[in-house]
Amino acid sequence: MAPGALQPFELQVLLAALRLGDEAYSVPIVIELEKHAGRRVSQAAVFIAIRRLETRGLVTTRLDDRGTETGRVRRYVRLTPEAKRLLRETRDLQARLWHGLDRLLDRG
Amino acid sequence: MRRLLKWFLPEDDLRAFESEQSELHDARRVRDGERPAARGRRADRRSLVMRLAADRLRGSGPAPTPGDGRRAGATDRLGQIARDLRHSTRSLLRTPGLAITIVLTVGLGLGATTAMVSLIRAVVVSPLPYRDPDRLVLVRTQDGDNLFNLSVADYQALDAQQTSFTAVAASQQVSVTVAINGVVERQRARVVTPSYFPLLGLAPIAGRLLVPSDQHAGGRAVVLNAPYWRTRFGGDPGVIGAAVTIDGAPHDVVGVLAQTNGPLEQDIALFEVADWPTPQRKGPFFLTVLASVRTSVPRQVAAAELAAIDRRMFPIWQSSYQDDRATWAMVDLKSRIVGTAGEPLWLVCAGVAGVLLIACVNAASLLVARTLQRRRELAVRVALGASRGQIVRSLLSESTVLVGAAATLATAVALGAVRVVTAFGAGYIPRIDEVRVAGPALWWLAGLTSLCVVVIGVLPAWSGSSLGRGAGLDVGGRTMSEGPAGKRTRRMLVAAEFAVATPLVIAAALIIASLDRLLHVDVGMDRQHVITASISLPAAQYPAAAARGFWERTRASLAAEPGVSDVAFADSRPPVDANNINNFDLEDRPTQPGDHQPVCPWIAVTQEFFKTTGLALVHGRLFDQRDFASTAPPVILVDRAWARRFFGTDDAVGRRLHEGGCAACPWTTVIGEVATVKYLGLETPDDGTVYQPIDDSERDRFVLVSSTGPASILGPTLGAAVHALDPNLAVSRIATIDDLASASIATPRYLSVLVGAFALTALLLSVVGIYGVMAHFVTRHARDIGIRLALGGAPDRVGRMVVASGLKVVLAGVSVGLVTALFFTRWMASVLFGVAPTDVPTFVGVPTVMILVAVMACLLPARRAAQVDPAAILRDG
Repeated sequence: MAPGALQPFELQVLLAALRLGDEAYSVPIVIELEKHAGRRVSQAAVFIAIRRLETRGLVTTRLDDRGTETGRVRRYVRLTPEAKRLLRETRDLQARLWHGLDRLLDRG
Repeated sequence: MRRLLKWFLPEDDLRAFESEQSELHDARRVRDGERPAARGRRADRRSLVMRLAADRLRGSGPAPTPGDGRRAGATDRLGQIARDLRHSTRSLLRTPGLAITIVLTVGLGLGATTAMVSLIRAVVVSPLPYRDPDRLVLVRTQDGDNLFNLSVADYQALDAQQTSFTAVAASQQVSVTVAINGVVERQRARVVTPSYFPLLGLAPIAGRLLVPSDQHAGGRAVVLNAPYWRTRFGGDPGVIGAAVTIDGAPHDVVGVLAQTNGPLEQDIALFEVADWPTPQRKGPFFLTVLASVRTSVPRQVAAAELAAIDRRMFPIWQSSYQDDRATWAMVDLKSRIVGTAGEPLWLVCAGVAGVLLIACVNAASLLVARTLQRRRELAVRVALGASRGQIVRSLLSESTVLVGAAATLATAVALGAVRVVTAFGAGYIPRIDEVRVAGPALWWLAGLTSLCVVVIGVLPAWSGSSLGRGAGLDVGGRTMSEGPAGKRTRRMLVAAEFAVATPLVIAAALIIASLDRLLHVDVGMDRQHVITASISLPAAQYPAAAARGFWERTRASLAAEPGVSDVAFADSRPPVDANNINNFDLEDRPTQPGDHQPVCPWIAVTQEFFKTTGLALVHGRLFDQRDFASTAPPVILVDRAWARRFFGTDDAVGRRLHEGGCAACPWTTVIGEVATVKYLGLETPDDGTVYQPIDDSERDRFVLVSSTGPASILGPTLGAAVHALDPNLAVSRIATIDDLASASIATPRYLSVLVGAFALTALLLSVVGIYGVMAHFVTRHARDIGIRLALGGAPDRVGRMVVASGLKVVLAGVSVGLVTALFFTRWMASVLFGVAPTDVPTFVGVPTVMILVAVMACLLPARRAAQVDPAAILRDG
C-alpha cells in the first residue's frame, strides 16, 4: 500500500463524514455506513479509523463534553483540505480505472 | 476489541467512545423500530465503571487535561509506564508456568552471582581490616623457593636495626591448655610482642593491651579475644585482673581485645606476651614477623635493608647456621592470607555467572517464543495504531516485571547463600567473617539486574517490533507460524546456551576427575585401623623426666584397653600435619656452592610407630631401643621416595648426612628404608620423608593407636585413658587417618559439589531449551509434516529430520563451547590434581554425553512428529 493511499474502510469513513458535514461523529457515521453496506459496522473500528486519519492529518476532531453532566460526550470529525484533495484524487483515479468497464462487467 | 481500545485511546477518547457507544445502541434500536433503552442511572453507572477501568489502566489520579503543560506530559508518561507494568503483570499471571520458570532460574542465578561477588569482594578484593593494610608485610626467610619463619635472633636483630618500617612485631601461634574454675580446655593462643597491637591498629574493649613492661614481668600478662571473653566469661568486665592458669602456670588478664573481623584474630582465644629466652643459636625458626613499611620508603629500599641486616647477622651465627644463600624477603600480608583461595572462588563465580547467562538466554528464548505466539495480538495492536515504540515498551515492561521479581528472589538467595557459605566454608575460605551482602554487593545486584533486563528483554522486543505491520492479521491462526527470523533467533539462543554450558560441564568434569584421583591417592598408612589425637603437656608440671614417665604410662594404659593392638607416639601425622621440615647435606652428594640444601619432612617417632601404622620395612632395619639413648649416634630411617630421589636404584642404607646443614655436628646415618607416607598433602608429589627417634622428653605429641576393629570407636577410650592419668590434660583433634585424609581434601570436595551443581543446572537448562525449540518446531510444522506423510514420507524419516534439525543447533553450540573451554580450563591448572586442563577423555566424553542428552531431548518431539495423523491434519486444514 502506497503511503498516501487510503484503505477502503478509511475511504468509507471519510466519505460518510463528508456527507454528514458538521454533524459527523462516530454514531451517524456508523449508521450511514450500515445504511449503505447493509451489514453491522463496528463502532470501535470507526473510532480507530478516525484516530488513524487524524494522525495522518486527514481529519481534525473536536471534543464536545457539554453533556458531561448527563454522561454525553462526543468527538466530532471534520475533513481537512488535504483529505478533500485525497478524496478527489481517489475519485478521479477510480473514474479513470472504471472508464469503459461497466459494459464488460455487466455483460456477465 | 473494546479492551484493546481502552489500551490505546487517551482518556478523552475513551469517554467519547463510551458515550457514543451508548448513543449508537439507542440509535440502532430506534432505527430497527425498538424503544430506546432507559437512559439515566444505568448509563451513568456504565460510564462510571468505564472511567474507573480507564483510570486503573492509566495508573492513579485523574486523567490529564489538555494544556496542563510539561508536568502533565511527565505524569502521562509515568502513567503509561505504570499501565505497561500492570498490564505486563496481569498478562504474565495468565502464563504462570513461564513466569515461575523465568523468575526462579534468573533469580537463583542472580542471587548466587551476587553471593559470589560478595565473597570475592571480601576475600580477594577488599583491604585487610587493619591500620594501613596496603603497607603490611610479613618478613620471612627465603631459601631458594622455600619461605619460612624467622627466629628470635632474627627478630631481635631486625627490631634493633631496621629504619624502613614504622614498627615490627613477632608472634607465634600456639595451642595452650587453659584451666578456669576447674574446667580444662585446649585453646588457640598467640604469643605476641607488645608492638603487635599498635602495628595492626587494634584497640582494647576493656582494660589495656600489652606493654613492653609486661615482657619483663615474667610473661604473665594475657589479653583475651572478644569472642572468647563473651563465651567463656559472659562478657564480664570484672575479669580484668583475674588469674587464669595457662599450661599449668598462673597468668593475669590485663585486657580484652575489641571485636575484629581480622583474619589474624580468628579462632584465637587469648594473646600472651612474648618472653622468649635470649637465643644461644640462630634457630629455631618459629616466629611470624609482621612489619608496616613507612609511607616514605619504597618497597625496594625496604627489601634492600632487610637483605643488608640479614647479611650483617650471618657471621655472628655462622657456627649454627651456614646457609649463606638464605636471605630475608617481604611478603604482602594480604596475599599470604588469601593464598590460593582466590582461584577456586573465581572459578565458582565463573560457573555461577555461566548459569545466570544461560538462565537469561533461556528466559529470552521463552519470551521470544511467547512473543511469536502473540503475533496476532501484537498485529492487532499495530493495526489499532500502536507505534513500534509502544510495542517495544510493552514487551520490555514484561521482562522488567520478570527480572524485578527475580531480583527480589535474588536478594533472599544471596543472603541465604552467604549464610550457608560462611557456616560451612569457614575451614576452607580465609577472611570468611568479613563477608557481607551489603552496599557494593547490592549495587552490583542492581547493575546485574539492569543488564538482565536488557539481555532478556531486547530480543523478544526486537522480534515483536519487527513483525510486519498488519502481517499478523493477514494469516489465519492455525496456519500462522513464526517467520524464519524468529526461528533463527530461538535456535541461536539455544546454541548459545550449549556454548556456555559446555565449558562449565567440562570444568566440572575435570574437577570431579581430579577429586576422584585425590580420593584414590594412597596415604601410605592403614586408614581405617589407626586413630590419632594430640596431647600437650604443660611445661610447668612436666619437666623432662615427668614427661618421659607420663608418655610411658599412657602407652601402657592404652595398650591394656580392649581392641587396642599397638600404641605409638610421633610429632607429626599424615597427610598434612608435618611438624618439622628440615634441610640437610648429603655426604655423597654435597650441596654445591650457590645451590640450596635439599629439604623434606622430618618426623620424630617412637620405636612402636612402624608396627602401629603398619609401615613396611623395605630394606635395612627399624629403630631399636639403642637408638633412643641420648648417647646413641644419630640415625634415621628414610622412605622409598627419599631413597629414589637421591640415590635412584642404589641402596640408601648406610648413607650419611648432616642434619640441618650443621657441618660441625656428627654424621647422621640412614639405617633403613620404609614405605612412603604423605605428610605434605595428598596432592603433593612424594619427595621423601625422614624418620628420627623422638626425644622422649618432647611435650607435644600425637598418640597413634592401632585397633583390631574399626579405629573410630576408640575415640572415647583414648580421651578417658589420658584423663584417668591426668584430669587436667586436654586430648584434642581426635581423628582416624581416614578422617584426616578426607578432611585434607575438603576444599576440592566442596569445589566439585559447587561447580558440579552449577554445571548440572546449566546442562538441564540447555536441554530444556533444545526440547522447547524442537517441540515448538513440531507444533508449528504439524501441517507440513502431515502433508509430507500424506505424500508418502516415511515416519522414521520425519523423526530423523526433527532430531537432525535439533542436533545442528546443539553441535554449533557445543563446538563454540569446546573452543571456549580450551581457554577457560587453562586457568584451572592450580585447582586440578592428576588431570591435565586439556584432558582428552574429558574433552571428548563431555561433548559426547551432552550431544546424547540433547538427542534424547529431541526424540520426544521427533516421535510426536512421526505420529502426526496426516488425515486429521489435512481434514482440519
